[in-house]
Amino acid sequence: MTSNGEGQGLKLDITVAGEKMMQAREKDAALTQTATAHLRADRVNLYYGHFCALRDVSLEIPARSITALIGPSGCGKSSFLRLFNRMNDLIAGSRVEGRVLMDGVDIYSPDVDVVSLRRHVGMVFQKPNPFPMSTFDNVAFGPRRQGISKRSQLKDIVERSLREAALWDEVEDKLQEPGTALSGGQQQRLCIARVLAVQPQVILLDEPCSALDPIATLKIEDLMRELAAQYTILIVTHNMQQAARVSSQTAFMMADEERAGRIIEFGNTRELFTKPKDKRTEDYITGRFG
Amino acid sequence: MAAVARGELTTRDRLRRRMLSLRRLREQAIEGFIFLNALLGVAVLVGIMLLLLREGLPLFRDYSFIDFITGTHWYPVSEPPTFGMLPSFTATLWVTGGAIAIALPIGVLSAVFLSEVAPPWLRDVLKPLIELISGVPSIVIGFIGLLVLAPFIADALNLNTGLTGLTAAIMLAFMSLPLIISISDDALQAVPDEYREGAYALGATKWQTVWFVLIPAAFSGVTASVMLGIGRAVGETMTVLMVAGGALKIQHSIAEPMRPMTATIAAEINNAVQGGLQYRALFATGIVLFILTFIVNLIADIVLERQKRKFQR
Amino acid sequence: MSTLAGSRREVFARRWIQIAGFSLAGLATAAVIAPVIWVVADIFVRGHSAITWDFLTQDPARQGKEGGIFPVIVGTFYLMIGTLIFAVPVGLQAAIYLSEYARPGRLLRLINLSIVNLAGVPSIVYGLFGLSLFVFTLNLKTSIMAASLTLACQALALIITSSREAMVAVPREWREGALALGASRWQTTRHVVLPRAMPGILTGIMLAIGRAAGETAPILAVGVAFQLGKLPNSPDDQFLALPYHLYAIAIQVPGMPESRMWATALVLLAVVLAFNLGGIILRIYYGRRRQS
Repeated sequence: MTSNGEGQGLKLDITVAGEKMMQAREKDAALTQTATAHLRADRVNLYYGHFCALRDVSLEIPARSITALIGPSGCGKSSFLRLFNRMNDLIAGSRVEGRVLMDGVDIYSPDVDVVSLRRHVGMVFQKPNPFPMSTFDNVAFGPRRQGISKRSQLKDIVERSLREAALWDEVEDKLQEPGTALSGGQQQRLCIARVLAVQPQVILLDEPCSALDPIATLKIEDLMRELAAQYTILIVTHNMQQAARVSSQTAFMMADEERAGRIIEFGNTRELFTKPKDKRTEDYITGRFG
Repeated sequence: MAAVARGELTTRDRLRRRMLSLRRLREQAIEGFIFLNALLGVAVLVGIMLLLLREGLPLFRDYSFIDFITGTHWYPVSEPPTFGMLPSFTATLWVTGGAIAIALPIGVLSAVFLSEVAPPWLRDVLKPLIELISGVPSIVIGFIGLLVLAPFIADALNLNTGLTGLTAAIMLAFMSLPLIISISDDALQAVPDEYREGAYALGATKWQTVWFVLIPAAFSGVTASVMLGIGRAVGETMTVLMVAGGALKIQHSIAEPMRPMTATIAAEINNAVQGGLQYRALFATGIVLFILTFIVNLIADIVLERQKRKFQR
Repeated sequence: MSTLAGSRREVFARRWIQIAGFSLAGLATAAVIAPVIWVVADIFVRGHSAITWDFLTQDPARQGKEGGIFPVIVGTFYLMIGTLIFAVPVGLQAAIYLSEYARPGRLLRLINLSIVNLAGVPSIVYGLFGLSLFVFTLNLKTSIMAASLTLACQALALIITSSREAMVAVPREWREGALALGASRWQTTRHVVLPRAMPGILTGIMLAIGRAAGETAPILAVGVAFQLGKLPNSPDDQFLALPYHLYAIAIQVPGMPESRMWATALVLLAVVLAFNLGGIILRIYYGRRRQS
């Protein structure tokens, strides 16, 4: 993947190999999803009422890999993440300008059913939030809402998802115990299993390890690497070492003078961390602020 | 000061020391007095229990306990008088059961509306209004039931009289509703937002989130509210006295005239001779009432404590 | 095979289930509120015509079918004062103890449990209690005194709870500041906590007194009467009271004109709601003032 960056510019348009293929798909504008999901933000502004939280954000996130979002607190990383599953819609007065595309389809178009969207784009939160139900019921929640009620089907889905989340061995004999009785790291993997059960194409992770101890963190990072073979992963993290460890691409964000978030630099992780093109990136990475 | 260092105390110092210990004494006296008043609260409850027992238990010297609990005839003026409490007890069960059957679904749905659907301004208007309902005296509720609801029920169900357990149950439901709504609403509000977010992010609709995540999570709060609602319905006197009908026989359905325990006591206490059998029987009924409401309130308290702990993590 | 637009049938079903569910919830709320508003309005409409100056200031005549309800109002008034006198000092001090002095432990849990249960005791049981203790054992006979004491016992739980809530809400830093300046606990309570908690305490008292005004069952056996020749002269006398009067004229007097019943109900409702409303308004007013 080559990255073409304008170091000084406030706007960064990245072209990715295979752009022509993407353009062809866009022309079709079919609403059907394929197995890969490639995400793109195109000159997006995000407003909460009068306050501009994201300004002129453009980014292209390749399918089936891990992309990291780093930056100082308050720069809009979480807001940007939530563009992709439209969780910002829940905030009164929020408004999106520009386009947010998944496989060429604008997910903010009125044809798109937001509830269905959220089954394609799953999210894992900073603080593990298993429902106050059994582990089984937690993972089965999504499939049940989709109408699957046969016990045997649900059992298969639950086992598959828990295996995929590397949690099965630890809970297989206590599936009926409350999800909240697990350790922090296990709870977070349970939340991941819960997301996997609805079979998304994209997994968004909002600082998933910040509430966990180092060992649990490493387990989750290993898990992410495995999942990247099948899913498109976008992770917001405060931890630069983590970004360097797991991601293939990294975007660095910062808030401008009006506290609106912008993308400063985006590129291959190794290059961004060893030879950043923008001075602000370099300052952040070397710890001069943030 | 040098004098103090030398170990001699001036008069002023001695005075000051005495005043300090006096002040401390005064503090302790005040605290003691306040403490006694606090104990009075406990004393009243214990006093109620003791007095009920003192006046009611002697009944069983002269009257069989089994006959009291299971007897179906309550004839204080017959010769010999019989005090079978069963019809009153089942009447209490009928009206309470009916009241909760009506109030529970309506109350929980209302709580859902207030907590999850209504915009903040509407909620601020409705909550005090609902609270005001609980301020209406039970005699007024009974009055309305008597003059307005009873004729309607008689008409609608083609009965001889509209004074039935059903009428009482409907009025009692109104008295329990503010309690159920308010506590269930608190319970729903207490469910952390992270559960809502997690559910939405999995592709659940708002209704699915409410029904499958929030209500189960608020379950203990709702249970507690139902317990307290039951307590209110069991203990209600004037409404059932005016509206439930007053008949003393075993009921076969809720749409019959009946006389719950509270109404029995209220109707007859002024006619009972102090120390007499009827007097004691009424107090014994009071014991049963007290035990019932005590248990129900205890359950509610335990459940509320557990819910508080659940979300305090 | 799922798409971003969602299967049409599923989206349709989902949407309509949601609409149905939330509409039902709204209907339930309306089912709760509408009847009450209607009832209050109904009482007003049917009762206000019989409320004349004479009605409020004359004695009842011919078993209440004519004349006024003056002594009834007076009786209720005496009861409210009596309840106030007996319930507030004890209740407030109990609340002060629980809020400022009590140390966690078994005794505290016992006291808390007692208060919660006191609140749940049926009103007729309070009546039995009052009869046995005040009328018979303490030989106060059926009187205003006995009735006030009985009502006070019932009001105790409410006053303790609301006063304690008001005091516990006072920020801890305020107490610590006073104590650090060398004030004693009582001085802190009296000069720092109580003034700040006073609005909440007053609200609780108003609600409790309002409730006492409307209670019938506790006073049934301890002193209330239906027809008395004269106004009560002393706390030892019997009395008339609005809630019981309403009961008596609704059930026990044949040929009672309905308008008088509605009028009496209206007067009772007005008194009780005035106190309740007053308490709530007080709470909102001081709550808002505090926020500024």
